[in-house]
Amino acid sequence: MKVGFIGFGAMGLPMARHLAGAGHELHVWARRPEALAPLADCAARELASPAALAAACEVVISSVTADADVAGLVQGSAGLLAGAAPGFIHVDMSTISPGTARELAAAYRDKGADFLDAPVSGGAQGAVAASLAIMAGGRTETLERVRPLLACLGQGIVHVGESGAGQVAKACNQMIMVAAIEAVAEALHLAVAAGVDPARVKAALAGGSAASRVLEVMGERMVQRDFAAGIEARLHHKDFGILLREAFRLGVPLPLAAQVGQQLNALMGQGWGRDDTAALLRVLEQADRGGNSEGPASRSCSPLLEWGPRGLV
Amino acid sequence: MKIGFIGLGIMGRPMALNLLEAGHELKVWARRPESMAPLLAAGAAPGENPADLGSWAELVISMVADAPDVRQVMLGEQGLACRPRSGLVAADMSTIAPVAARAIGGDLAAAGIDFLDAPVSGGEAGAIAATLAIMVGGSQAAFDRALPAFTAMGKNIVHVGASGAGQVAKAANQVVTGMGVLAVAEAFNFARQSGVDPARVREALLGGFAHSKILENHGQRMLERNFKPGFKAWMHQKDMNIVMATAFELGVMLPGAAATAQLFNAMVGQGLAEKDSIALLELLEQLSGR
Repeated sequence: MKVGFIGFGAMGLPMARHLAGAGHELHVWARRPEALAPLADCAARELASPAALAAACEVVISSVTADADVAGLVQGSAGLLAGAAPGFIHVDMSTISPGTARELAAAYRDKGADFLDAPVSGGAQGAVAASLAIMAGGRTETLERVRPLLACLGQGIVHVGESGAGQVAKACNQMIMVAAIEAVAEALHLAVAAGVDPARVKAALAGGSAASRVLEVMGERMVQRDFAAGIEARLHHKDFGILLREAFRLGVPLPLAAQVGQQLNALMGQGWGRDDTAALLRVLEQADRGGNSEGPASRSCSPLLEWGPRGLV
Repeated sequence: MKIGFIGLGIMGRPMALNLLEAGHELKVWARRPESMAPLLAAGAAPGENPADLGSWAELVISMVADAPDVRQVMLGEQGLACRPRSGLVAADMSTIAPVAARAIGGDLAAAGIDFLDAPVSGGEAGAIAATLAIMVGGSQAAFDRALPAFTAMGKNIVHVGASGAGQVAKAANQVVTGMGVLAVAEAFNFARQSGVDPARVREALLGGFAHSKILENHGQRMLERNFKPGFKAWMHQKDMNIVMATAFELGVMLPGAAATAQLFNAMVGQGLAEKDSIALLELLEQLSGR
């Protein structure tokens, strides 16, 4: 299939390579042409604008950062929409707000073209291994047309619902995942403060009910104090902006997500946005200066004030 | 002074009446003509549209719901920037995001209009009694020109800083009042569920360090279960959203405000939006199984 691709970051680059590797005719556009250098061996055809890319392809896939980036690709005289013929499909795999996805879908449908929101989960690792979870929102027949392409990128392709539904699922994914990262950070932080080796705690938990992929992957980064990004924390911060705005718009309480959002705000304020989200551990360490004081650790709780089955008496 | 006034709701109506009372010449406009009636009866002139007010007045005040409304009456079609009188000062007393206030101020400056963000605190009671706290951002010159109008509507009038500073102060105010309402509601619910009369608890607390206007006024209304607005829950939710969005942009953590904002979300979600925001007490009671 003649497929276009835009966005060659940690996610997009391996995804584009998979498409070329599967024998699809890869067409590309990049704002900075040097971003295309790593694709030199893919025989990709470079186009001069998103509009030209849309005109040359049946399907264009984008993997960029935020709402404004996607909207910027679509709109304007050089945008994808300007070059889209009837039957054209834009598959956006970025994480953006459901509302923007719905608006873009409507704009394409006015021209007889179509749009799928198809954000992913699985990180750079999943992109390289072509094992991404893909959550799609849009029309069934549109998804079926691009399914052979998506199958090159991931294994679990779920049609969640109408336009925007993929982004709703992605917001849910981010809530669960980042809250889990915060939970792991707090647990390992408590272990250290109590004088216990966090590596051992992590190993002990791995076989039990608290076992999870987040504990395994992010917990290991925390134990190793390896805060070099896998996924940059600023991107999770951006995602929390999206989902907390949705909560406001819909009148839905998200008490835990709101607190996790505040920890991410603190992380950003510390200037750690380019680090991995495992740096949520450092926010906790900052709050109690690493838990090294003699205070809390040496304080014994009066049995009268212990929480538990005996109550307060 | 010749003053134009836009937005005659729960807050705007008594504020405009106080301007008349203080002897200012007033021309008013509201989206719904019927809300102009009480002002016209008190001696105000009717305006055709915001542009009409802007070409006539020395100062135009807006008191509307949110940033898009402010932008509409200031810069929209028939907005007051269409044909402004020379030297016009525009003071927006609504609560909107600081970033929106700065943007509107910048656009108005390009049209030769000096903009003040001048949100208020004190609620309907403060608006009626002309005792509002008014927090102002903008140039000193514009502040000085608008001051006679502000003194007719409020008591504690502070020029906080440059454009947007008034809205920052108001956002800070909403952090304190939002959490304050929650604190009082939690304390009352806790007392009642513990089998103690919250009215007596309030009385006991009023003498100590927990004393506050919110405990005194909002607390009293909670005890009377008087949830008539006042300040509607959806407006408090909107204000908390401004606070949280600003904190998000700045990378500032506001854990208490974040928790409070989620409870306001729940109020709106379950249909308490039109009640006073002190109906937060009802939400807590429900969530505790009464």
